[in-house]
Amino acid sequence: MNVATINRAGTLLFVLFTLTAPWVLPLVVDSFWVDIYSEILIWSLLAASVNLLFGYVGLLSFGQALFFGMGMYGVAVGIAKFDLSFWPAFAFGVALATGMAVIAGALAVRLTWHYFAIITVVFSLIFYFTALSWKPVTGGDDGLPFSVPPIIALGGFELSITNPNVQYFFIVTMVGACYFLMHRVINSPLGRAFVTVRENDTRAALIGLNVYLIRLSAFVLAGFVAGVAGALFAVFGRYASASYMFYHVSGEAVVWAIIGGVGTLFGPIVGTGLLIVLREELSSVWDHYLLLVGVAVIVTVIFAPRGLAGVYNLIVQRFASNSTRKTEED
Amino acid sequence: MDLVIALGLNGIVWGLIIALIALGLSIIFGLLDIINIAHGDFFMVGTVLAWTVFETTGNYWIAFLIVPIIGFGLGALIEYAVIQPIKNAAALSIVATFGLSIILQESVRATYGAAPNRMIAPIDGTFLLFGIQYEIYRIFAALIAILAICIFFYFLHKTKLGTWMRAVRFDPETATAMGIPARRIYTVTFGIGFAMAALGGVVAAPITTVDFQAGIDILPFCFMAVIIGGLGNLEGTVAAAVLLAFVEGIITSFADPTFARIGSLCLMSAVLMFRPHGIFAGATQ
Repeated sequence: MNVATINRAGTLLFVLFTLTAPWVLPLVVDSFWVDIYSEILIWSLLAASVNLLFGYVGLLSFGQALFFGMGMYGVAVGIAKFDLSFWPAFAFGVALATGMAVIAGALAVRLTWHYFAIITVVFSLIFYFTALSWKPVTGGDDGLPFSVPPIIALGGFELSITNPNVQYFFIVTMVGACYFLMHRVINSPLGRAFVTVRENDTRAALIGLNVYLIRLSAFVLAGFVAGVAGALFAVFGRYASASYMFYHVSGEAVVWAIIGGVGTLFGPIVGTGLLIVLREELSSVWDHYLLLVGVAVIVTVIFAPRGLAGVYNLIVQRFASNSTRKTEED
Repeated sequence: MDLVIALGLNGIVWGLIIALIALGLSIIFGLLDIINIAHGDFFMVGTVLAWTVFETTGNYWIAFLIVPIIGFGLGALIEYAVIQPIKNAAALSIVATFGLSIILQESVRATYGAAPNRMIAPIDGTFLLFGIQYEIYRIFAALIAILAICIFFYFLHKTKLGTWMRAVRFDPETATAMGIPARRIYTVTFGIGFAMAALGGVVAAPITTVDFQAGIDILPFCFMAVIIGGLGNLEGTVAAAVLLAFVEGIITSFADPTFARIGSLCLMSAVLMFRPHGIFAGATQ
């Protein structure tokens, strides 16, 4: 067995599990785990947007919650204030997040390293405080609840997320589409340019790449993905709240991405899944389970800076090379 | 008008305390090249320790002596255990300090409890200042902060250890070649940074609430002071902290405090974009 086969089998298992989860999960555990699994998928997109910036172009953003919040408020305000139907509201949320990413990115990607991390936090804080005080539109601290219109309404036929299976597969489709988009971009010439800029931006500039534009496109794509996550979360929770724009949410996404392993597509899903399952399982048993999360972050950063995906790759490679050596000996 | 004076004075007092905390943040950034997201929690640990000392001994003044020492010890320990192993990965250090922040907040919540507490000021009473009755403790707090800042600058410029710190900051390799124990200087600097934030916590405890989340609000303000004053420009940091808190205080007297905060954040982004060395760049040379 070689590495590619093992990885392909793993991906296939994961896809199969995701497609059958609403029926398989209730057989083993309580049926609310289906909801938790959808939540994991949504949050993993936020972690993926951090990963896209940090893992592929080398920019650590501590402000991805800004775009998450924009997507979230776009949907909520669109439905509750403008009386939009489902798809226009969803598109409005994602467009708002992407537009914000274009503006914020045009300014932010001029800076690198620490300065980039700081300015992304500052941008997200500006809009966090705005959302907090702009009560007539955003609902401030209390949040903005709304009832979700049907996804499709054709004559008598109606597809609405009040049906849990419809909601689940709507989320899976959207999240899947985002991962497919990221997969395509990363394996395109643009994706190679991302990695070149991450490895050495001076050389990238010297071979004729427009470093600024490459960083900006990564930033906008990351903002788009975070916006979809926010819009999905608004639909999933039926409300929007300013608290999701705070820098602690961005920080959590960074933690998920780092523990899962940056620079791989799968890492953020694994990290997000692990930490959310940990939260659901431990928070009822041990009130201070966050201590464990903090320790896990530091241990990962010190001993496994490539995260769980890095550890996995190492094991699989060793396993694969062992088995090839065995076949050669035979 | 009385309100404006009171809020303006509050702003200056608060600004001086922030300056003390932000100086700690600034030396850690300048010397170790680390964005310390846990710095607000260092302050929070200071307030909680002050509360604990007061509860156990019944004497608040002991806290002024003990808490910075504990803070220095904790800071040195953290630097040795967490920061040194990741010295080479600058971006990851932000993530590590975020983990540190989670640990500090959660361990305080586990031991001290989640309910916020208010402390009674150790000096009671008010006196007449600019036509209003002003609390004596706040003036005392400002004086302590000024004293601590002066001692810090004296230490940095007139003592051997302070000179070493400046040398390592200027050029770590040459400093090491000259026989300065650079690694130990890093540990000491981180300890001093923690101690200053903790002292800020002791001074501020009777003015604010003692709460495991107290650091979350402080952190952005400290960063604003450090960035607007200029990263590594210590005098600029002090000036920016006092100026920002004063202006925010004045704005608060006639508008929503969040507007004041949004304004400062916008100013901070402008400084980051256009004057990355701070608004006082060039004034010191």
